[in-house]
Amino acid sequence: MKKQYLLILAFTGIIAILNACNFGGHYKALVVTGQNNHNWKTSSPILKQLLEQTGLFTAEIIKTPEKGGDMNTFNPDFSKYDVVVLDYSGDSWSEKTKSAFIEYVDNGGGVVVYHAADNSFPEWKQYNQMIGLGWGRTEKDGPYVYYSRANNKRDEEKIIDISPGKGGSHGKRHEFEVKTRLEEHPIMKGLPVKWFHGKDELYSTLRGPAKNMDILATAYADTSQGGTGRNEPILMTTSYGKGRVFHTVLGHADQGGGPAMECVGFIVTFQRGAEWAASGKVTQKVPYDFPNAVCVSLRTHFKEITLEDDLAKIPTYELNKSTKYFVNLQNRIRAEGKSLDKLMVFEKMMIKILENKDATVEAKKLLLHEISWLGSDLSIPVVRELAKNPELKESADYALARLQPVN
Amino acid sequence: MIDKTNRRDFLKQSATVAAGTLILPQLIPSTALGMGGKLAPSDRIVMGCIGVGGQGTNNLRSFLWSKEVQFVAVCDVDTNHTDSAKAIIDKINKNSDCRTYGDYREFLEKEKIDAVSIALPDHWHGLIYSAAANKKLDIYGEKPLARTIQDGRAIVSAVKKNNVVWQTGSWQRSGKMYRRAAELAINGRVGKITRVEVGLPDGDSIIGTPPVMEVPAGLNWDMWLGPAPKVPYRGVCHGDWRWTLDYSGGRLTDWAGHHVDIAAWGIGMDRTGPVEIEGMGIYPLEGLYNTPVEFDFTCKYANGIEMRVATGSRLRFNTGAAWFGEKGWIHVDRDGGLLHASNPKILEEVIGENEIQLYKSNNHFWNFLECVRSRGETVCPVEVGHRSISIGLLGEIAMTTGQKIKWDPIKEEIIGSSVASRLLSRPYRRPWIQPTI
Repeated sequence: MKKQYLLILAFTGIIAILNACNFGGHYKALVVTGQNNHNWKTSSPILKQLLEQTGLFTAEIIKTPEKGGDMNTFNPDFSKYDVVVLDYSGDSWSEKTKSAFIEYVDNGGGVVVYHAADNSFPEWKQYNQMIGLGWGRTEKDGPYVYYSRANNKRDEEKIIDISPGKGGSHGKRHEFEVKTRLEEHPIMKGLPVKWFHGKDELYSTLRGPAKNMDILATAYADTSQGGTGRNEPILMTTSYGKGRVFHTVLGHADQGGGPAMECVGFIVTFQRGAEWAASGKVTQKVPYDFPNAVCVSLRTHFKEITLEDDLAKIPTYELNKSTKYFVNLQNRIRAEGKSLDKLMVFEKMMIKILENKDATVEAKKLLLHEISWLGSDLSIPVVRELAKNPELKESADYALARLQPVN
Repeated sequence: MIDKTNRRDFLKQSATVAAGTLILPQLIPSTALGMGGKLAPSDRIVMGCIGVGGQGTNNLRSFLWSKEVQFVAVCDVDTNHTDSAKAIIDKINKNSDCRTYGDYREFLEKEKIDAVSIALPDHWHGLIYSAAANKKLDIYGEKPLARTIQDGRAIVSAVKKNNVVWQTGSWQRSGKMYRRAAELAINGRVGKITRVEVGLPDGDSIIGTPPVMEVPAGLNWDMWLGPAPKVPYRGVCHGDWRWTLDYSGGRLTDWAGHHVDIAAWGIGMDRTGPVEIEGMGIYPLEGLYNTPVEFDFTCKYANGIEMRVATGSRLRFNTGAAWFGEKGWIHVDRDGGLLHASNPKILEEVIGENEIQLYKSNNHFWNFLECVRSRGETVCPVEVGHRSISIGLLGEIAMTTGQKIKWDPIKEEIIGSSVASRLLSRPYRRPWIQPTI
């Protein structure tokens, strides 16, 4: 028992040290939770982790009293923070806290509305304006907003639908394609226009004031999945006073987060959205594992694949295995190939694998193809050596044809 | 280019032949009659096909609308293909004489024909187009002209050297509204053109990581691969080869032969190329398919015009070719014949006699047949086919390397990057030898 306790203590210590090392965080973030019709105990720590992972934020979690508790005790000083992340859907806050929150946003504070937070506070007018669209709202609060193709029109366009009815629904959980609508927005710039999101709820029929609101991305809610047949807003921004609000409907938390939160598309848009809400700009690079129109991309334990991971996994490649580590390396090369020095760094890494006796033939074939165009004279000896191996001769000849052309 | 009188005669004559179903086919090719390739008007054009999968069969059927042609032989690496193409031809010819081949070298050696329709995966274009031209055959060849710029130049050189008639399968050139759009653009109806946007369909094919499989009966897999790297069969072949870089550049190189071709026509740049190319591609994160699913690159021409080529969902008009000038824009796309402009009045403009008249062809296949007779140039000659796909291939090089590519469109050389220059060709697998210029 005692041993176990010590172990936990040591572990906590390591985490504390790791956190302390993360001194890059110059924005302060507050994750508000404590009540939710969703699994906030899972999601909030993940959101905190994702914020801090960027190196831009230090994040704290604050919990409201439990449902039915005395909300007067919930009095955070919002003004200390650059961004408030709402993972909250529950009892109304005290008037004093609501006023403080409005004042915070009005004065330029950033807000991230995460998933079910848009279920909260349907009676709070200013909150409705901040989130733009939400669940449980009616025609009193504003229209339905979505994208659709009008009759005889070639392109989908934004539809403002004032028909009466309740806001908020979703079909079956499934993987769906997210489509960018505002490519030039700092949050979206550089992302694929279309990408597949991990299995999630596709929030639909949201409604609200939708004032000063930009729809950054939509997703088609397929009727075969119980959806509306419309392109529903998925990522939004609104401005309220001087404040910026980023609203993501993505990220329904399963045990441990699950595919909706592990999806790199969710992670990255959340991280970029938080930075934008805090500062009005986005400095984060688009990672190499960002999903696209043909691939869902999940991060186990929310960790990005590192170059070291790529180099460790590539030598074990076989035809029936995923090429993802090799593609990741290719993407690194594409992103940094402008510099010949950098190309040579990659070349040396590949030579190491080509020289590695334990690396598979299939791995070496992939690398020989790559070396063929980016290699220098450094590669020639090892490629010549591999040409002696009957299994690799053709691939080595391919590389040599480019590395040392006959004429 | 034939004048109106000749065209009328030609069409009249076609109608006569079509009506006279009892006329026996003339099976002796003009070349055998020592007429130097010039056909007598009474002769039918004797043709064969190399590659009779999906597109090859479509093209065959399109040619068969004309009674001017007589098909006598087909070649394919899959006997299922040759069997079904032979059945189509034999039915039309009312006999069982159509000859079949599995090796194009034997086909070219044995067949005495006037012209050949070729529809193959891109990685085979360089060798077979050149070989057919060297046999003095007139060629209807599918776009894109070649898998690499070096292959493309070798094809152009073989076609020119042998003085054969060539039509690139960029059939939009024979579509009225594409010609109209390009003619309005090139004649300044939206003012001086400053930029062009070309939207191509998004790449969205998914296959994952299929296992190694048994090669289907009838398919000669090694011959299908030809000069491409030897790989085990994993189910990717007819119909879906386009999503693997060893055989194709994906949607980009598939469609560059259409919308890029039209866009370059409308700025009068279809026989030259840009001087600078820069952009990015988004690739599948894993799996057997590895062509870009999204791309977005910009080519600068020496005269300052910029051509942006991207997956449609990244652009204002989605797919198609759009010319932006100082006074407005014109956009043309398939989509049921879409041609529109910033001001609808632009579309009513008349092109005067002293203005640039673009080549008029109303049927891509018939245009080829007309030229086989007249020895004139087709609406999409080999140089144009080469220059159109060069834009796609230069974009591919820019995306692969991440570099801004500086291009000399006269010498066809990349300036200042030896690594990028290597991507102008792909090494051939032995025993295949890359055709030379």
